[in-house]
Order: sequence, then structure tokens, then C-alpha cells
Amino acid sequence: MASSDGEAVVELKIPGKPEYVGVARLAILGVASRMRFSYDEVEDIRLAVGEACTTAIERAASAQSPSPEVRVRCMIDPTRLVVEVTDNNVGSATPLEPTAAAESVLEERSLGGVLIRILMDDVQISQESDTAPHVVRMTKYVAGAAR
Amino acid sequence: MQLKVETRTPQEGAAVIGLEGEVDVYTSPRLKQEMVDLLNRGLVNLVVDLNAVKYLDSTGLGVLIGGLKRARERDGDLRLICDNMRILRIFEITGLTKIFDIDRSEADALAKLK
Repeated sequence: MASSDGEAVVELKIPGKPEYVGVARLAILGVASRMRFSYDEVEDIRLAVGEACTTAIERAASAQSPSPEVRVRCMIDPTRLVVEVTDNNVGSATPLEPTAAAESVLEERSLGGVLIRILMDDVQISQESDTAPHVVRMTKYVAGAAR
Repeated sequence: MQLKVETRTPQEGAAVIGLEGEVDVYTSPRLKQEMVDLLNRGLVNLVVDLNAVKYLDSTGLGVLIGGLKRARERDGDLRLICDNMRILRIFEITGLTKIFDIDRSEADALAKLK
């Protein structure tokens, strides 16, 4: 766990296949439960990380990636939890950011991205180039902790 | 945890799909297939019972949206049963409470079907 010396890191790598998203959710549940989050906040974090992993896996499927992997890196400190979900897929077949056409709530694809933005306090989605890994970086702050 | 899908037909033309477990990217294709099969059999009024669902993500929401669209295309409907606050919240924050009719009990849902 985090100490005053700095942050603790928990990292997990899962095969980019649908049956492993549940494993990542269990791991994040373990991490978030040990921090000073409320029950609802822990559930929010679990859902957001699950959505990010799901998006990564859907990207792998649409890119027909031969050996997809998803890395979940949790950076824990007393004031916040930062989770980075990184995929190794080449290309960006399925953008997570809602496009203009996908903004309707009836558009199923954009829901994951919408959920992540609502559930977490700070979200950054980046990809340095078309062939670079896609990174979703999400932060949840511990209520009442000094930032 | 996996997803258990159990369907009953308590009244003519209507089916109640009871779900238990987690509805996610891995399990939701089974829910989708169940709804497609029921609609193809002419059961166009569907009720999906979410009370025993422990986890629902955007993939599951997408499958429910697809089921609602398909049911309405066939002049049917899809209603949800849910009294779990955690699951209801997901519908609220995504704005989907405007699209879905959500009842607290099976009796209510069946009574309100066309």
C-alpha cells in the first residue's frame, strides 16, 4: 500500500479477450477496496476500468490483432488512485471518444466512453500515433484528502 | 462470475428473461442471442429482469438497446425490471431511463405490456 514515501504500483496484464475483463475488474476491486473510497466509489472505479478494458479488447478484435494484451497499471497514493489501461493494438479502429455521429445515447459504441468520463474525476485518452498503444488514464480522488 | 439466462413465458406473446450474474463483454452475446431467438419465435413482448444482476456494463446496455429496437420493429416492446439502486444508477447516468421503461416488479411489467 501507499506510504508517505510515494505511490505504490499494482500492475496486471491480461490477454485481450472478453473472458479476462472480469479478472481485471476483480483486481481493481481489490485495489480500490483497500483505499479510503466509499462503496459507491469503488463500484464506479470497477465499472470505469471494466469499460476501458472492454474498449481495448473491442479495438483488438476490430484490428484483428493476433496476440492482443491489455495492461492495467494502478498508481496508489493516499490522495488518489490513477489507473492506466493500455492496449497494444495497432491502429485505432474503434475510437473511444464519442464522434459527432455517436453522441446520441442510442449509439451503443459511445456509452463506454461516456461512462468512464462520468464515473472518474479526471480522464485522459491518448495515442501518440496511429500505431502507438492507446492509453486511457483515469483518476479518482479520495474525498477529503489533501491533493 | 458468469451469467445465468432463464426465460419463462408467463403470458401469451410475452417472455420474461431472468438474468443472474454479470452482464459484460464476455456474457452479453448470450443475452443478445436469447432475445433474437425469442423475437424470431414471435415473442415480441420482452421483459428483462435485472434484479439478480450484479454487474452491468456498456456492452450489456448496448444489447438491451438493440433488443428494444428489434422488439419495436416487430410492434413489440421491451421492459425492464430493476429495483437494484446500483444498476438503476447506470441507466440514470447514461440517460437511458428516458429510453427504457423500468418497473419494480414482474407483475407491473407484464401489466404494462401492450
